[in-house]
Amino acid sequence: MRLLGVFEENEREFFLLQDEDRFFKSDNQSYKDEFFNYNLIKNRDVLIGSEPVEGEGVFNFRYGPVTAGVKEAGVFNIYTYGERILSVNIDPSYKKRDIERLMIKKSIDEGLKFAEFVCGNFAVSHALAFCRALEGCAKVDLPENVIRLRVVALELERLYNHVDVFLKLARGASQNVLTSHLSFIFEELLRINIDFGSNRFLKGVVVPDGVQVNKSANFEDLSKRLKILRDKFEELYEHALKSYNFIDRIHNTALLSKEFALEIGVTGPTLRACGVDEDLRVKEKGYERLSVALEEDGDSLARMEVRAKEFLNSLDVIVDNLNKVKSLDKLKGVDLKDLNGEGIGYNESPSGLLVYYVRLNSGILENVYISTPSVFGFKAFSEAFKGFIFTDFSFAFDSFGIHFADCAR
Amino acid sequence: MKPWVFYGLSNRLTERFRKKDDKIKGLSPAFRNSLHIFPIDVGNDNGLNFEMEALQSSQYNIHRFGIFFTDSPRHADILLILGRCTEKMVSPLKETINQLPSPYGIVVVEGGQPFGIKPKELALSNVLAYYERHLSADEVLSVLLNIMEVK
Repeated sequence: MRLLGVFEENEREFFLLQDEDRFFKSDNQSYKDEFFNYNLIKNRDVLIGSEPVEGEGVFNFRYGPVTAGVKEAGVFNIYTYGERILSVNIDPSYKKRDIERLMIKKSIDEGLKFAEFVCGNFAVSHALAFCRALEGCAKVDLPENVIRLRVVALELERLYNHVDVFLKLARGASQNVLTSHLSFIFEELLRINIDFGSNRFLKGVVVPDGVQVNKSANFEDLSKRLKILRDKFEELYEHALKSYNFIDRIHNTALLSKEFALEIGVTGPTLRACGVDEDLRVKEKGYERLSVALEEDGDSLARMEVRAKEFLNSLDVIVDNLNKVKSLDKLKGVDLKDLNGEGIGYNESPSGLLVYYVRLNSGILENVYISTPSVFGFKAFSEAFKGFIFTDFSFAFDSFGIHFADCAR
Repeated sequence: MKPWVFYGLSNRLTERFRKKDDKIKGLSPAFRNSLHIFPIDVGNDNGLNFEMEALQSSQYNIHRFGIFFTDSPRHADILLILGRCTEKMVSPLKETINQLPSPYGIVVVEGGQPFGIKPKELALSNVLAYYERHLSADEVLSVLLNIMEVK
């Protein structure tokens, strides 16, 4: 069982929990002591990471919120005596937009727009989790072509996010040729997104009880373009693994142990790089061709390898689903209005498990709780980065695929 | 497979670029051949940060136009403000503007965000262009080229 969130409702504390593919809320207060990550989740908007360290010559090297190294607005408090990093904690409050609070008293359509604006590069994941929560509340069944097109959208998002992580690692190690070619794939994928869903980040594709795609999209052509990118990526990946001055930088960097990863509740590629075979997509429809990528080492290299393999797997899943979608009719079901009750929606976002809890009254949002993978990812980063040196920062940070926008909501 | 150097040479990835003309205030003729930009995230949803990543891709090859990303605002000619401001980012934004060397220009891209403080309300000086909608990488490149062109 995994603790994903803690929230208040009617002045009582509730827990959002996961038991394999079952998600539920509970008010059993004993969970507070049972889960190690309770305090992490409680303080996720204030400070994430380890305790400050004091000692001879130890100072706080404050990195952010305006730097060229990390593009987003966030602060890293790095405790060091000059070389070795002793402790890191992260202050996400500079990016805090308070979206969960802003969503309250909004209609479903407005709520969806806010969900897509939590983290632009996870727009499909956020919209899908939000819509699934509503659909769970309304108890609707989706037709097969809608499910398959949603899978395509989610996997397209995974593709460009995984390439982005690989690209940042390559750039960090000054692999200029590799970086240029990966950036080519990155931009091509964003252009494919426009052809598939009319938006570079696939915003507006997932809607409650349906999906909206570009009706004039030629799926055969998209498959062909994706296959060309697959070959190119495979070639680059194999070549990158033979480049020792690249691999030396990420091998054994930012090691994360399997036990600690499970304790703090990390999911997604980070967990799979520690050797835990867990992927919720396996049981879902549309993923017949999915094989779960696993690595044992738990370092930056393992995380990169998992992502590279997932890129290839996801691409196969997309092509398979595009072939199986027969018609683009009836992609939108009934309008979900005047909903009452509560629902939990989840999906496997590019960086891990993303869960939405929503409670509605007559179609108006009354309470929203978002559990994002980056919160746990930041904790994992702060732990894994201890004992390394500042030069390893980009290899450690970028390999987790975590974002302040996703964390600080 | 060929060594990196030959692999790099064997593929041509850069595309021809046609900019869209737009009426934008210029900065100075001094920047006709070279423009250094520094993007600052003040609370956008990461979409615009990813567009900046895309702008550095091989298709656009911005270096051929003399456009470079800098690592510090002290070396920048143009500050790109991305997104609508969170409360805590207002003072770091103002401090960043203080650090810019003169003459400098500011381009604001709000990104269509429905929340946050509009940079317009912060009374910033030297704003050359202001966009409330999201701009894709090629649109940002058009804006920068238009700024460079002004006599």
